[in-house]
Amino acid sequence: MAHRVDHEYDYLFKIVLIGDSGVGKSNILSRFTRNEFSLDSKSTIGVEFATKTLQIEAKTVKAQIWDTAGQERYRAITSAYYRGAVGALLVYDITKKQTFDNVQRWLRELRDHADSNIVIMMAGNKSDLTHLRAVSENDGQEFAEKEGLSFLETSALESHNVEKAFQTVLTEIYHIINKKALAAQEAARNSGPPGQGTTIHVVDSSDAGSSKSSCCSS
Amino acid sequence: MCMRSQVTYAIVDGHLIQPDYMEPGKTLSERRWQSSFSEEGYLDIARVLRRIQRGGVHSNIKGEVWEFLLGCYDPKSTFNERTQLREKRRLEYEKVKSKCQEMEKRVGSGRIVVAPIITEDGQPIVNPSSNGANSGEEVKSNEVDSSIPENRNDSINLDKEVIQWKLTLHQIDRSLLYYESSENQARLWDVLAVYSWIDRDIGYCQGMSDLCSPIILLIENEADAFWCFERLMRRVRGNFKCTSNTIGVWAQLTLLSSVIKILDPKLHEHIVNLDGGEYLFAFRMLMVLFRREFSFVDALYLWELIWSMEYNPHLFTIYEANASPNRNQDKSQNEDLMKYGKFERKCLKSGQKDQQANMSIFLVASILKAKNKRLLLEAKGLDDLVKMLNGITGELDAKKACNEALKLHVKYLNKLSKTSDLDRTLDYSTLVIYIKKHRDEGNGEKLFSIR
Repeated sequence: MAHRVDHEYDYLFKIVLIGDSGVGKSNILSRFTRNEFSLDSKSTIGVEFATKTLQIEAKTVKAQIWDTAGQERYRAITSAYYRGAVGALLVYDITKKQTFDNVQRWLRELRDHADSNIVIMMAGNKSDLTHLRAVSENDGQEFAEKEGLSFLETSALESHNVEKAFQTVLTEIYHIINKKALAAQEAARNSGPPGQGTTIHVVDSSDAGSSKSSCCSS
Repeated sequence: MCMRSQVTYAIVDGHLIQPDYMEPGKTLSERRWQSSFSEEGYLDIARVLRRIQRGGVHSNIKGEVWEFLLGCYDPKSTFNERTQLREKRRLEYEKVKSKCQEMEKRVGSGRIVVAPIITEDGQPIVNPSSNGANSGEEVKSNEVDSSIPENRNDSINLDKEVIQWKLTLHQIDRSLLYYESSENQARLWDVLAVYSWIDRDIGYCQGMSDLCSPIILLIENEADAFWCFERLMRRVRGNFKCTSNTIGVWAQLTLLSSVIKILDPKLHEHIVNLDGGEYLFAFRMLMVLFRREFSFVDALYLWELIWSMEYNPHLFTIYEANASPNRNQDKSQNEDLMKYGKFERKCLKSGQKDQQANMSIFLVASILKAKNKRLLLEAKGLDDLVKMLNGITGELDAKKACNEALKLHVKYLNKLSKTSDLDRTLDYSTLVIYIKKHRDEGNGEKLFSIR
């Protein structure tokens, strides 16, 4: 993803929204970025896109979210959009067991195409449909723990936990970047003069805001 | 540029009401359409094409005109011959539909499948969400019902094709913008379910309902609508064809890339620098023929302009023979070129043999051209590019876009013919590398035998 200098924000993070078709990805996105929800939204063809700027620990972070088509056959295309993503929101539908079973497959997809450090949040969407629930919150939680993912149940319809899900992912990414910046500083201090084959980007913590970093990978 | 989006139109009782931007004297009117048939029923296609290319088709006759444009019927046939053919096709449709009904009871029942009904290993799923009530995100009409559990014995001998078919039934897009009637919804669902059974190589693919829903609205008889959609799919099905790691539309995107490279090298370079050299941002435009970029009524207008400009008088014969259109052989000597659409005529005259070249590619080129300055100045990342191009909904004028596309096509052909043999060899070699790459992955043959 392109690094760029822009005064509107300190950081730009690319997030991908993935999961089976019909789980509510596009509605999660429209709820988060425009506070809108549509009962009969059309299926996503290829990829769509929206941004939202928010504050994370006093820094302005612009989230650039890529909403992808969920149908299996579109994966040949959507995986191309994983490039440069530092976060993923992996969505399933709590009323459809199969969409939860497929989470494993989506994780594989991420491992194959995305950066290995990508921060993943699993979201069990449509939590408002309690009477139709087919996946218990506990099962979701257990699976997430096993796979090392963050987890929340969300409802785009009721606007429940959507903001929080993104906020969590973005904060985690921010922390990783900060940690990397510190580690890089540390490494710079200990490694003596440069020229040993590794390039180290030094970011002074007091100046972190001007780094416009957009990626947590090294 | 924004005129079209302000145009008023209406759909009343499921019927499309003529938008008032259609210009009398340019649009193909009902009267002119009727008077273009001889007593026996032969259609003066050149006369009709002339009109459509200038101003589209009046909404009262869109359905029947589209049937000709898409090659369902031969202009050189009589009323009687067409009636017979229609009857034959209706029976054929009923036959396939019954077969589908045997496999899934909801086909033809007025109800539709909204949740997965089968697992990948063929086990039926009895859905807890079956009654659908209050689910909000699922159900809009009380006709919808997925509560009938499948007979468990049925599943034992389900073969792969049936499982594959059943797996996608719930994915059929139900949102029919502009006309919400459960009856239309069920018709759309039936037609798509049956189509995905007869074209099992492709099955149901999201986007198909974007292509099918206008036809359901325009053609009342379900079987007729089905065949009209089936003919439309013949033009675009190659785009939907998938292998494990590629999708057919890639061939079109590759051509688009080489077209822009020739027409606007500076923009092409900019796009490549933004990491957009694969032209994936045009994916949706090519897949659903700009249905999402234009308003509903404008999309219909755009489509008939495209099909009239791409019209080839041999379409019917080619489709009946189950062959693919081939620009190398379909023009017989001394044939009246006016029976071809403007675009197709240019291809024939110039000897352009590329079967992938179509109006859609040049329409994307015309959109890029219109946005050229903004893209060069403001697009600083692939995200800006996607944002600018996804945000053009309602801004576009179908006729202007088509005329611009035709101009760009001519320009492209001229530049191509001026390009030295060396350059052409270079372009050719990129294509060969591309084909080889896919062939190495075991997809080459399939990918390129689509059309």
